[in-house]
Amino acid sequence: MQNNLSKRRQEEGLSQGELAEAVGVTRQTINAIERDRYNPSLELAFKLAAYFDCSIEDIFDPQIE
Amino acid sequence: MSETRTESGFTRQTYRRVVYGVVGIGILGLLVGIALEHHLLGTVVYLLGAWIGGGIAFLAPRWSDTPLQDERDYELHNRASGLAMGITMALGLSIVPALYVLDAGGYMTISGTIGGGILVASALFLLYGVCLGIVQRRS
Repeated sequence: MQNNLSKRRQEEGLSQGELAEAVGVTRQTINAIERDRYNPSLELAFKLAAYFDCSIEDIFDPQIE
Repeated sequence: MSETRTESGFTRQTYRRVVYGVVGIGILGLLVGIALEHHLLGTVVYLLGAWIGGGIAFLAPRWSDTPLQDERDYELHNRASGLAMGITMALGLSIVPALYVLDAGGYMTISGTIGGGILVASALFLLYGVCLGIVQRRS
């Protein structure tokens, strides 16, 4: 699953630590998501979508063919 | 890159360093105690390290106002536990029965150390099964 979390975060001028604090996870988790090394839980995906005021699909692309 | 910091200045990195450091001191104390033949003192240092380190590892995430552990840590622990149990099971199933057959046939003798290891691995599997049952019932 790919995502554009890094791009969205940088557009908002946030550090990984600031975004992590905002959604209640560790900076390492945000880093792992941005590097496509970890797929977040549905709960965290919803939190991220709510934080950026968009839908989950706007951030995450499941690449289902 | 900035580390998530609590109001008290306790970061995830600090948390890990404190826990590993305290437990490490305990283990070192035990080894030094054995080497210097101060077994009781070494044991006391080890127990203090294990209890204090374990206590911090257990309580700090509950008291901290920022996450020191999160869902990714839990998933990593789950995967590591599964891998450890899988390796133990594969080794156990592929080696242990053969050892007992060879022992019964008089080709070799299972030493106390190996027997103890097999017993510990079996106990670990039993504990895993019990814990899995408890978790399944609760979910």
